[in-house]
Amino acid sequence: MSGPSLWWIDWSLHSGSMRKETAGRFLLCFLAALYFLAMLLSGGVNRFLSGQYTITAILRIGVPAEEGAGIAAKVAVMGAVREAHYRTPDEAWEEFLVAYPGLETLRSEGKNPLPGYVEVRLRPERMSEEGIAEIQSALTPLSQVEKILSGGDIMPGLLRMKQWANALLWSGFALVCVVFLAILAMQERARATRLFPDVSFLADRGIPGNRIAARRAAGAFLAGGVVAALATGASFFALLLASGRFSLVRTVVGSAEELLDVRFLPAVCVFLLAASIFPGLASLAGWRAAYPKGR
Amino acid sequence: MIEAFCVGAVSRGRTLWEGLTLAAGKSEMWIVAGPPSCGKTLLMRILRGERRPDSGDVIVGGESLYRGSPEHNRRFRADSGVVPESFPREAGKTVVDLFRRSALVAEGVPAAEQEGRMAELLPLVGLSGAEGEEVSSLSASERTRVALAVELFRNPRYLFLDMVLANVGSEWADKLGGLLRALTREERTILMMERQLPEKWQAATVPSPRCAGPFLLYRLGDPRTVCTAAAEPPPVETHPEKTGGWG
Repeated sequence: MSGPSLWWIDWSLHSGSMRKETAGRFLLCFLAALYFLAMLLSGGVNRFLSGQYTITAILRIGVPAEEGAGIAAKVAVMGAVREAHYRTPDEAWEEFLVAYPGLETLRSEGKNPLPGYVEVRLRPERMSEEGIAEIQSALTPLSQVEKILSGGDIMPGLLRMKQWANALLWSGFALVCVVFLAILAMQERARATRLFPDVSFLADRGIPGNRIAARRAAGAFLAGGVVAALATGASFFALLLASGRFSLVRTVVGSAEELLDVRFLPAVCVFLLAASIFPGLASLAGWRAAYPKGR
Repeated sequence: MIEAFCVGAVSRGRTLWEGLTLAAGKSEMWIVAGPPSCGKTLLMRILRGERRPDSGDVIVGGESLYRGSPEHNRRFRADSGVVPESFPREAGKTVVDLFRRSALVAEGVPAAEQEGRMAELLPLVGLSGAEGEEVSSLSASERTRVALAVELFRNPRYLFLDMVLANVGSEWADKLGGLLRALTREERTILMMERQLPEKWQAATVPSPRCAGPFLLYRLGDPRTVCTAAAEPPPVETHPEKTGGWG
């Protein structure tokens, strides 16, 4: 086993405070990662809204069930669509009776006055005016479709509110990051001040200050990466546990297993990289307290 | 070899000395004695390559510490150990922390070797089993001895000791004399800054000092090396040469 190197000078000379600081950083990183993964999965309020919002294509009376199912199947493969289901006239009638009990008399002589319909739900990330317009433009030309119910005039306002809500939630994440950075900077500065006699000792014995700074920062980068990876892993498992146990979490945030999808990989990598770079930068920013300019 | 040529220093607008010439070779120990505030620590810093002299130059291994490459200066400092006059009481630091810090200068020293060397060095300075002691709880003498052990930990070729004999106390000054003599036999060069030579050392065999500005320069070791100072006065007769060992 080789002795301590300048990469781990803080760990070597201030192991007690480093242990406490790292525990605090892990906790902060865990919270930030939990927030980030939840936002990534839910898209802010997108998932909740997309779970509540449906586009309904009412078919003309007399359209055969096979054609209705065929329309639903074609719509389901569109990029913006999460799921599309065809409801037969009989299913529509049953739903109607559940919603309005006591109106069985409307079905005179056994004839069903309700048509079948196709219910379309959008993907959370495609919950936008463009996404709705894409579905509408696909369904409107179909002769079997009599009417499309998509929220009408209130939808643009609602979608604007959704954007504001998402911006607010992402701002909350940015605030968590700023707090994380501020705490990192304070920790690094305080430790650098304590490191002053050690750095003076090393500099007096021919170790260049910039070499110590660079190696400390590299060590902080690596340690930050390890802490971030562990904290992100822990937050993923916490989300997995919560989404498995609470339906509210599944509805609002989504199922954590979806995070294993490769499309989330770049965002998670960027988060881990940033969480590694931050401690390295904080180490460099606090360096002047350990090695004043002009030494 | 450390060679100072016509070195002069100015501090707070006052010329402390000028024309100091000194050549300290392998296996030599030099004691620079002088009154308080005469610039002993400043001279040590100049000889260590930390502070450019106001006149003259310092040459090590044939290259100037100040006019040569910065890498040469850095290598020389990495190869030298220094015990300062006042050793800070760094709160919370233990003796073993100081050894760890010293090990950082020589990156890559195996941990087992570090522990072995620490276990060898601490008894030499009378501090066996002090590894876990807080530095702030040690006396001034103990702190100075620990500082010496910490420097010896890296096996430096050059040792600069500022007021070490005065700080360790008379009893330890004698014991350290033996240790330092052993170190010079291993081809190390030792430069010590002291107010005066310890009494017992004066009574033993010490070559006559040379006077250089405010300093008395005692050379202990290889007799082939020389010591001169500009406008050098005759040897001071208050320290007559005797036969026998020193320290």
